[in-house]
Amino acid sequence: MSRQSGRSNDPRKVSGELLTLTYGALVAQLVKDSESDDEVNKQLDKMGYNIGIRLIEDFLARSSIGKCKDLRETAEIISKNGFKMFLNITPIVANWNQSGDEFSLIIDNNPLTEFAELPDEHKSLSYCNILCGVVRGALEMVQLEVETKIVQDQLKGDNVTELKVKYIRKIEEAAPAGDD
Amino acid sequence: MIFNLYIYDRSGTCLFYHEWNRQKQVDVSREEDFKLMYGMTFSLKSFCNRISPTDPNIGFTSFKTSQYKLHFYETPSGLKFIMTTDLQIQGDIRFLMHTLYKDVFVEYAIRDPECELNKPIKSKLFSEKLNEFIQKQPQFGNIAQTALSSIVK
Amino acid sequence: MSIGEDIIFEYLHMEIVNVVAGREGIHNKDLIVSKLEKMGHRVGQGMIDRFTKDSPRFKDELDIMKFICKDFWTAVFKKQVDNLRTNHQGVYVLLDKKFRLLTHLSSEKEYVEIAPKFIAFSCGLIRGALSNFGLISIVTADVNSLPECRFQVQIHR
Repeated sequence: MSRQSGRSNDPRKVSGELLTLTYGALVAQLVKDSESDDEVNKQLDKMGYNIGIRLIEDFLARSSIGKCKDLRETAEIISKNGFKMFLNITPIVANWNQSGDEFSLIIDNNPLTEFAELPDEHKSLSYCNILCGVVRGALEMVQLEVETKIVQDQLKGDNVTELKVKYIRKIEEAAPAGDD
Repeated sequence: MIFNLYIYDRSGTCLFYHEWNRQKQVDVSREEDFKLMYGMTFSLKSFCNRISPTDPNIGFTSFKTSQYKLHFYETPSGLKFIMTTDLQIQGDIRFLMHTLYKDVFVEYAIRDPECELNKPIKSKLFSEKLNEFIQKQPQFGNIAQTALSSIVK
Repeated sequence: MSIGEDIIFEYLHMEIVNVVAGREGIHNKDLIVSKLEKMGHRVGQGMIDRFTKDSPRFKDELDIMKFICKDFWTAVFKKQVDNLRTNHQGVYVLLDKKFRLLTHLSSEKEYVEIAPKFIAFSCGLIRGALSNFGLISIVTADVNSLPECRFQVQIHR
């Protein structure tokens, strides 16, 4: 841990710590209340989704970003604007598949896991699963249906945390209901 | 002068409606009015895109009649802000609606834990803040003022 | 303009309240509040661990309370407590006229009734912070009109 003084001069760091600790307390509570790691993972994903569908509006309102022209542009914006704005990190966009409908966000130094350790008996816990839900929820609001999954996890000894995003379909705008 | 404002979610539910200086009431029910407005802007939007001679970037933004102007602003998340004003209105109304989205809608609807996202907004705080926002706009105007300025002219 | 992490924190807090309230059911208000309070307690302890590493020692209880009302409050709730009162017998009343986690809640009567679940986590946060200074306390709060919140801290001596 860094030991520089005047920490209250860096509000972003304090805010980040409050977030990290709160997230940690949440996961601990869910683990305690749940039957299995899988149940926790699902709950985290669901919570993330609920956050994502609101967070996207904050994001769009502040960034004044318009519609993306393709998935590559979307991926870049998630990383360079989205993650940057809310977690102050810029994941690397990588691992595109051949058909260009699947990519990964590679996260090094994930603020959510800063103080976390995974106990041996919870090896199938996907600690950062909330991120899957956030990305999925946010993209759904801009008419992109995706599947998201953590495929590498620093807490499980991987070098990086990798969040895979797979494009499913574009959600068409609902035509007005009515008889005429 | 601002007449009224509609906010729709992306499935066409009218989340919020308010009128300030509307002088003539429509002869259909509120519900019907909301439906008609949504349907009309939906069709206009797709029609404008279809006939566009170049690749439409933003597409439909406004239309006017001899009496009023309708301004349309849609967020990438499909929220629609529709405002009608008089013809003398000055300034960028779509920017005004973006600011309203950012400073009022996000702050007091989206971030209100008790606000359900796809239902009409019931929060009094929201309508207070929105009213405050609209009434402090230089474009807001009111009937007396407008009448006065036209005499001065 | 607020910092991104603050927005995420507020949404996370909103979801935590949702999930805990959803799991325990609406009739179990006390359990909801106590669960949220415990989570806050844990976070409060962690914050102080990181926060006071380089701070000078505090000379007494009042000094600690002042630190909570100024530095800690500003860091966590983005402003200072508006008013601190004490009976000099271990009871402190902290008034925040615009409490961070209540500013987006609509100010109608019914909201005042559901407000307890939105402040329980914060009560725990304060209790956790105080416990790291060796002060054992009970922290309660009440909301009369949003977004104002009055916290009462009772220190066990």
